[in-house]
Amino acid sequence: MKIKPTNASVTELDMTPMIDIVFQLITFFMVINNFDQNEADERVSLPKDQLAKPPAVQRKNSFTLNFGFDRDNKGVILDPSPYFFFGDERIPLASVRPRLQQESQFFRTVGTELAEVTVEIRADAEIPSGMIQELIQICQENGIEFQRFALKVTQAQIQ
Amino acid sequence: MKLRNRVTTGKISVDMTPMIDVVFQLLIFFMCTLKVIEPEGDFDISMPLGAPSASSTTDAELPPFKVRLQADASGNLATLSFNGRNLGSDVGAFKALNSEVFRAVESLKSIGPDQVDKQEVEIDPDYNLHYRHIISAIGACSGRLGKNGVMVRYISKIKFAPRREP
Repeated sequence: MKIKPTNASVTELDMTPMIDIVFQLITFFMVINNFDQNEADERVSLPKDQLAKPPAVQRKNSFTLNFGFDRDNKGVILDPSPYFFFGDERIPLASVRPRLQQESQFFRTVGTELAEVTVEIRADAEIPSGMIQELIQICQENGIEFQRFALKVTQAQIQ
Repeated sequence: MKLRNRVTTGKISVDMTPMIDVVFQLLIFFMCTLKVIEPEGDFDISMPLGAPSASSTTDAELPPFKVRLQADASGNLATLSFNGRNLGSDVGAFKALNSEVFRAVESLKSIGPDQVDKQEVEIDPDYNLHYRHIISAIGACSGRLGKNGVMVRYISKIKFAPRREP
């Protein structure tokens, strides 16, 4: 029996729809990705309030302090002592002074007026208020001298 | 002279593979770096800590509004008071505080429009009070949401009283 040779030409797929969808996906992820909140630590459970608004103008000179508890996946506090989270490092309130002095020294070195630096405090909702007052007091001490503070809050849904 | 037609009219195929590779890399990068975080805001207020020897009057030559928050043993709100008047301890206490501040601000406006800008609120919490109650008090003193979702500001100067020892 005689077999006819098959046509061995390359089959070309139309890639256009796939590229369209992939670009749509990239655009979606770029838009919803919030690069501004990279300093936010997920371990800190912020209090909520309806009136809290993001600053109208992005602050040029600011740094963030994450002050919270060690919590498990369900949000249960594992250690009753709160800590400052600097990446993997945990520092209690009593030992935070040298770190704040470093931050203050950094802003002085780069020529920024400390009066223009905002300390953004991301504190857990269940931290004792006295500790927040103590933190602000330490920030205002001689040698550190930060003067502006912003208390970070999760925006609650408007009811 | 006879010219041969060398131009081919066939479809030019561009190799899409490198572009698709890069696009997928980008897609995976954005998917992996995605952090689902609730939107955050803050209170745009001045936050000086009341010095222990601070005078009891403000630039407006009026004493600051005093908000006292007392805590129970577990750190929950036991009593909220505004200028010595007890407003309770439940969620309604902060609504009452908001109304009290509104009334006080309205009466200040009758003295002079710039008095409101100079007026301060001094928040005086117990040491062990949970921080979320402070935020609620700051929110209640700052203002309220208007009908169109725009904030109506009452007070912009809020400070802490000297810290109470635990």
